[in-house]
Amino acid sequence: MKQNKHPNDGPPRWAVRFFRWYCNDYLSEAALGDFMELYDRRRSSLGKRKADLLFIGNVLAFLQPFALRKKRPSYALNEIAMFENYFKIAWRTMARQKMYTGITVGGLALGLATCLVIFLYIRHELSFDKGYTHGARLYRMYNDFRGPDAARWTSLPPMVAQIMKTDYPEVEKAGRLIPQKWQQAGSNLFRREDQVENLYEEGFVYADNELLDILEIPFVSGSRETALVKPNSIVLSKRMADKYFPGEDAIGKTVILNEHKTTPYVIGGVMADFPADSHLHYDFVLTLTGVEFWPGEQTSWCCWNYDTYVRLKPGADPAALEEKLPAIRDNYLMGYLEKSGDQSAADIKLHHFLGLQPVKNIHLNPEKVEDELRHGDMRYVWLFGGIAVFILLLACINFINLSTAKSANRAKEVGLRKVVGSVRGYLIRQFLTESLVYSIVSFVFGVLIVALVMPFFNSLSGTELSMPWRSVWFAPLLGVAALVIGIFAGLYPAFYLSSFKPAEVLKGSVSKGSKSSGLRSALVVFQFATSIVLIIGTFIIYKQMNFILHTKIGFDKDQVVMIQGTNTLRKQQETFKEELLQLSEVEDVTLTDYLPVTGTNRDQNTFWKEGKTREDKGVSGQFWFVDADYIHTLGMKVVEGRDFDKRLASDSLAVVINQAMVKNLGLKKHIGERITNGNTVYTVIGVVENFNFESMKGAIRPVCFTLAKGGSIAAVKVNSRNMADALASLTNVWSKFMPHQPFRYSFLDESYARMYEDVSRTGKILTCFAALAIVVACLGLFALSSFMVEQRGKEISIRLVMGATTGSIFQLLTGNFVKLVLIALVVAAPLSWYLTQRWLEDYTYKISVTWDVFAVAGVISVLIALITVSYQSIRAALANPANRLRSE
Amino acid sequence: MKGTYLGEFEELVLLAVGILFDDAYGLALVDELERKTERPIMMSAVHKVLVRLEDKGYLKSRMGGATQVRGGRDKRLYTLTAAGKKVLSQSRDLRNSMWKEVPKVVWEAGAL
Repeated sequence: MKQNKHPNDGPPRWAVRFFRWYCNDYLSEAALGDFMELYDRRRSSLGKRKADLLFIGNVLAFLQPFALRKKRPSYALNEIAMFENYFKIAWRTMARQKMYTGITVGGLALGLATCLVIFLYIRHELSFDKGYTHGARLYRMYNDFRGPDAARWTSLPPMVAQIMKTDYPEVEKAGRLIPQKWQQAGSNLFRREDQVENLYEEGFVYADNELLDILEIPFVSGSRETALVKPNSIVLSKRMADKYFPGEDAIGKTVILNEHKTTPYVIGGVMADFPADSHLHYDFVLTLTGVEFWPGEQTSWCCWNYDTYVRLKPGADPAALEEKLPAIRDNYLMGYLEKSGDQSAADIKLHHFLGLQPVKNIHLNPEKVEDELRHGDMRYVWLFGGIAVFILLLACINFINLSTAKSANRAKEVGLRKVVGSVRGYLIRQFLTESLVYSIVSFVFGVLIVALVMPFFNSLSGTELSMPWRSVWFAPLLGVAALVIGIFAGLYPAFYLSSFKPAEVLKGSVSKGSKSSGLRSALVVFQFATSIVLIIGTFIIYKQMNFILHTKIGFDKDQVVMIQGTNTLRKQQETFKEELLQLSEVEDVTLTDYLPVTGTNRDQNTFWKEGKTREDKGVSGQFWFVDADYIHTLGMKVVEGRDFDKRLASDSLAVVINQAMVKNLGLKKHIGERITNGNTVYTVIGVVENFNFESMKGAIRPVCFTLAKGGSIAAVKVNSRNMADALASLTNVWSKFMPHQPFRYSFLDESYARMYEDVSRTGKILTCFAALAIVVACLGLFALSSFMVEQRGKEISIRLVMGATTGSIFQLLTGNFVKLVLIALVVAAPLSWYLTQRWLEDYTYKISVTWDVFAVAGVISVLIALITVSYQSIRAALANPANRLRSE
Repeated sequence: MKGTYLGEFEELVLLAVGILFDDAYGLALVDELERKTERPIMMSAVHKVLVRLEDKGYLKSRMGGATQVRGGRDKRLYTLTAAGKKVLSQSRDLRNSMWKEVPKVVWEAGAL
């Protein structure tokens, strides 16, 4: 626009500018000319002020769609041709620089694959129990003890479900479940009545018929309304019905559990298998109709074994209902406690509440209710989500770094395009098109990678993820993600590359890609800091894992075989034990239900010093029934007093307690003190060293052993090196006693390790991610270093000619990168220290985070970076300088 | 678009373009129309109709004829296309034929 020499001569300039801004190019020149002509005429006849106002009027009157609309005749064709050209150029650039293309696409594909896997994982974690029609009204009840030993747990007395229905009009349905290993819930020997062979099956549970309806379990055959109404009825999952009654109708058939031929079960229905995203997974549902585990059990308030689920009526307010629930405690439980003279009654009255947990929350469990299920953890969902984002960022950074670093190669193209009339917008579009091509190609590879590694990841994380191609949203989502990531990664390079001034570029004065080296360095630091945090995190998890598995745990878990199901031997148990002891491979045998690994029985009792039941607050502790060989078979250490002695009849009323029990009860004399669980008084004859029997997340809790005979597990200490031989001998003995039952065994150390499966799983997954992050970061570093060597090729050659040694050249080229990695280490160390401390807070028994972890992580990352950079550096340093210098 | 239908103002603008022949641009058309119709004409209205008529294919335009008073800006000069001429003559033919059908007595009868 021509500048007026006398600014006051013309119309108001803002109005002109405004008009030019809104009006389309087609009209603006001609219309503005008309305005000016008219203005000129008016100024001489009406004066400047009026002419100005009328001019503004003209401008405003033009503010109409016809003037705003872009008018582009025959533009569309041109556009397509341009895009064709963009794609062609993108393709040629990619083809010309195969290594850079490979690194960019490879890195991006890896990053995307990781993201996709994590996305599927997170989606799975968040998908639990979302499918119920009445899901919003579905709750599981839990105990909420808000006292000093605050705890939340699920099991309730048997009466609660019924009371919920009778006392609370808001409740539509209530049903009970016994999920823990108790009575016949858990695992059993199982057979059809008309067959002899037993099979060992897991996944038994007791439930009310109403629960089937509450949890909306779909039935394959039979009716959900009546399947469990009759006493001794059982519901099988489809999978189990197919296994035991292939091609037959299972309904009405009779099955036998644990050889209890007097109480057979009749199949009342076949339910569909539980879906993977349900919090419950059972194959056999036993009815609770007519069940009474001992006389008066169903109406007692002593024993808490029932998980209770409720479905509220539509519109009922769960919070308001929760407010009313303490009435159950006051009207029912308190009466029982007072009658039995329980000292904790006052405490319970004060602190015990009932809560309602939405069923859809059970998997991630934000309420932190303790139960027997395997839970997800919202923190891990966040952690993995964060890692996904970071790895993707790393991959995008590679793209940004490489495209800006390689800008020199494109500078001439940009200059030339500008000279022949391309405006910046077109160039931005071109480079965005290019990055989109990269992103889409990477997506294709990424999806391929995911398809390949999915089985591996599933076995690692214990999940069953698959790509939901059938879902309508999945493919479009991938497409949109490819677009978004392409644009995100391409934005900065596009603006950077399109900003070149043609004159400078064509003159050759744009310094070769060194312009934004500050930003590139920062991005490299970011990449390595992320990788180092992941490396350190992995280290800490492995150290903690190692600590848990190999630290002194208070018992000897090695070389112990647990033979399951010895309770089915009935009266032959002792003979079986004797026979085992005859074997040369066997050192010790103990029969019990209780072992310091999960999956075996637990029995929570309250203990007092003798005669103090009404004065003292009780100490809660485990009450384990063991035989006289238990303590030495498991290698526990008696620190005071003595072990049980079979020969002493008086030992039937003796107990051995652990140190935690001594401490919590406040026993002064330790040995000879008399303690009671409210029913019987026992004499303490020995104290064993504390041993871990739960996850190390909590402190070791009190345990009390007393003598009993028999149990469902025979723990066999084997002295033989050759485990296979030992197992063969054990099997022989077993089949002699129990020809129709499978010999089931497991190893104590493996069961112990399984308690920490989640930790080890997290460790493994994190290792994979750390490795991926490092690989992606190194790909970028490798490309950057080769680019640098390329750029400084002449300089290096001249240095070599002038007498520089190979070593000094190597130093010159690698020094800078090593510096960056060191800076990254400084950034990453405090961050990872903080994060690992937070993670370790969960554990009472834990390692301390020491400096050597940081040192090792630092050395590793520097080494990796050095190796990455070395290849190109050494090649440059060893190259014959003449070859390079000759070429110009 | 409205097909071949020509509005009254559109017809006037087309005719004005014809009258001004080689110098038919926005302001000149406004002047011409004001002179002929003796009513104030909005410049934006003229430009709007010009754009529309060009879209319909009755007009074509080129840039040219910059002058000092216009701040050195080109005019957008419009000329009638064959289609434009055709639609004008169609419009006139329609009127003529309708005129002919009006009985003479209508014109001869005086006002009531």
